[in-house]
Amino acid sequence: MNLEPAARPETAEPWARTTARARVLQIAGSILPIAISLFAWLIAGVNPIVVVLLVLLPTLLISIGTVGFILKGKRGIPDAALIVMTFFLGAFVMVLLVSVVWSLLEAGFRALSPQFIYQNNTYVTPTDGLEFGGVGHAIIGTLLVVGLSTLITVPLGLATGVYLTETRSNGRGFVRVILQAMAGLPSVVAGLFIYSVFIVTGISQYAGWLGALALVPLMLPTISRVTEESLKLVPQELRNGALGLGASSWKAFFQVTMPAAKSGIVTAILLGVARVVGETAPLLLTVFPIAGTNLNLLSGGMATLPTYIYRFVALGFDTSVARAWGAALVLMILVGILFGLARYISRPKSLKKKKVKR
Amino acid sequence: MAETSSPAPVRRALRVKPATREDKIFFGVSTAAGYSSLVLIILILIFLGIQAWPTFAQQGILEFVFGTGWSNAEEQYSIGPMLWGSLLVATIGVILAVPMAISIAYFIEFMATPRIRRIATLFIDLLAAIPSIILGLWGLEVFSYVGAEWGQMLNASLGFIPVFSNVAESFLRTPFIAGVVIAVMIVPIISSVTREIFSQVDDDLIKASIALGGNSESTFRRVILPVSASGITGGVLLGLGRALGETVAIFFVLNLVFDSYNWFNILEPGGGAIASLILGQFGEATASEVSALLAAGVILFLMTLVINSIAAFIVSRAQPWNNR
Repeated sequence: MNLEPAARPETAEPWARTTARARVLQIAGSILPIAISLFAWLIAGVNPIVVVLLVLLPTLLISIGTVGFILKGKRGIPDAALIVMTFFLGAFVMVLLVSVVWSLLEAGFRALSPQFIYQNNTYVTPTDGLEFGGVGHAIIGTLLVVGLSTLITVPLGLATGVYLTETRSNGRGFVRVILQAMAGLPSVVAGLFIYSVFIVTGISQYAGWLGALALVPLMLPTISRVTEESLKLVPQELRNGALGLGASSWKAFFQVTMPAAKSGIVTAILLGVARVVGETAPLLLTVFPIAGTNLNLLSGGMATLPTYIYRFVALGFDTSVARAWGAALVLMILVGILFGLARYISRPKSLKKKKVKR
Repeated sequence: MAETSSPAPVRRALRVKPATREDKIFFGVSTAAGYSSLVLIILILIFLGIQAWPTFAQQGILEFVFGTGWSNAEEQYSIGPMLWGSLLVATIGVILAVPMAISIAYFIEFMATPRIRRIATLFIDLLAAIPSIILGLWGLEVFSYVGAEWGQMLNASLGFIPVFSNVAESFLRTPFIAGVVIAVMIVPIISSVTREIFSQVDDDLIKASIALGGNSESTFRRVILPVSASGITGGVLLGLGRALGETVAIFFVLNLVFDSYNWFNILEPGGGAIASLILGQFGEATASEVSALLAAGVILFLMTLVINSIAAFIVSRAQPWNNR
């Protein structure tokens, strides 16, 4: 018996086929408005924003609309409008993103030097040039504060993920909603919370560990949601198999389910850390930023990268803002490393999961 | 029944509850952790509420929320203008962000080839990964000047509409600029929720629409949007919650005016945001002012909590496949 699936007929999805004539028309229809706009901008010297809004957009709409009308008749016109608006708005976001990244790289690399990475800021005034001082103390502070916060949050987040996938409790939907709502907790409120519990009441002075505590409610939702997602991807048969062989639930989890979801859990932790590493407001309310290096989380001030950026921007001198850009680049590189690692670790799984679309 | 011994095993009780001590601890700990988030939210409310109580008692809650003025000398604190400013900036941000986010989601889900889809997703994830303080720095040092120019053009061409009028000399530090920075911040949030919803729209519905003679535009407008409307609404509310809670970026790019409302003049320097108020006044606050700031924190927290809970509820209803 022939078990091969029937071959896909040549005539399937006639709407998805394109002819050479359509291609040529589409390309011509897109290039013409761009050429007109470039002409208006470079040769006629019209303001670029005016060009984009009053020349590029209308001519694109008209030319793509004409192409649509030629190819598909009257119903090609709204299609063209949809395509043009989608590309236009998408390109606008891309322009903003590129502007952010470009200014970060351009201004950041001007400040960056080996000494900027490892020195601290003792004896450096805001108006000093960039050849003195650096963000070494802030990098150490960020690693310490975020590290302690991670140590506290990871067990809690993992256990929450376990609650959401391994139990059949009725409260799961409610907890999901609470977690999602908590993901939108304003970071300044998290800082105020720790401030009102420990500092107003006089239990502690400003210190690193308070900053770490303030980051916990911000990190928890990310870690538990992503853990939940990755535990959900573990096939139910694995769990049932372990239970059927006589394992107790906790052994089934720690010896079968958790190892199977290992990469997802690591991703969850990395994403959680990346989420809070740039948080500024909670640290401003709980940790006093200092210029020197401090390795003690329990007492004394401690500089972190975000508060360093904040302080030097607030000072407002050209040199201090240049320092802030340097620190911002270091922070972004840190976040980039975390995200890159998370993507790299979770990659094979997500590729397997991805269903083939159309 | 025959009295001979049957081959079937003896009936035994089916256990659905954890029996051993280890299992009890395992499930107990995970359940406790599950509810820890709820406990955390309640704790935040209680502790902020206790510290904020003197302010509420002295000012009256209504006067505190809707009144005007922030003065240490008279110990009179009201966050009315800040509350309105928060809403104004967040509204501008959401209005700007929604079309962009939906376009990106539509492009990624329905137009892009797999390769381009991966690249576009990477870009949006990158945008989501940028810490808000870096966006604030960009807003202050780079975008403010561009945004001021845009504002000037808007004013020149549409200045007869009251919203775009400007009697001040400067176009810097306006709610409009803060709104654009916020929009950049929340586009990834809205677009990731929208993308998730779009990707789950039943393919048969789309094919059916095309087979009935629909084009992509009418399929999008009549099929995809209605099916995913509630999910998108949830995503937009999530973005709104984030916009209301944003602190540092707004503090950098907006001129905070405590004692008067800027009702709708989005191109004039001056506006407010509760979170930025807290950050700005915290440094040299007196004891009673700290209480007032904590009270502002309570209001901000309640507001975002309500919005985010509604959003989370809508999103989870719109994604039943997530609640197995």
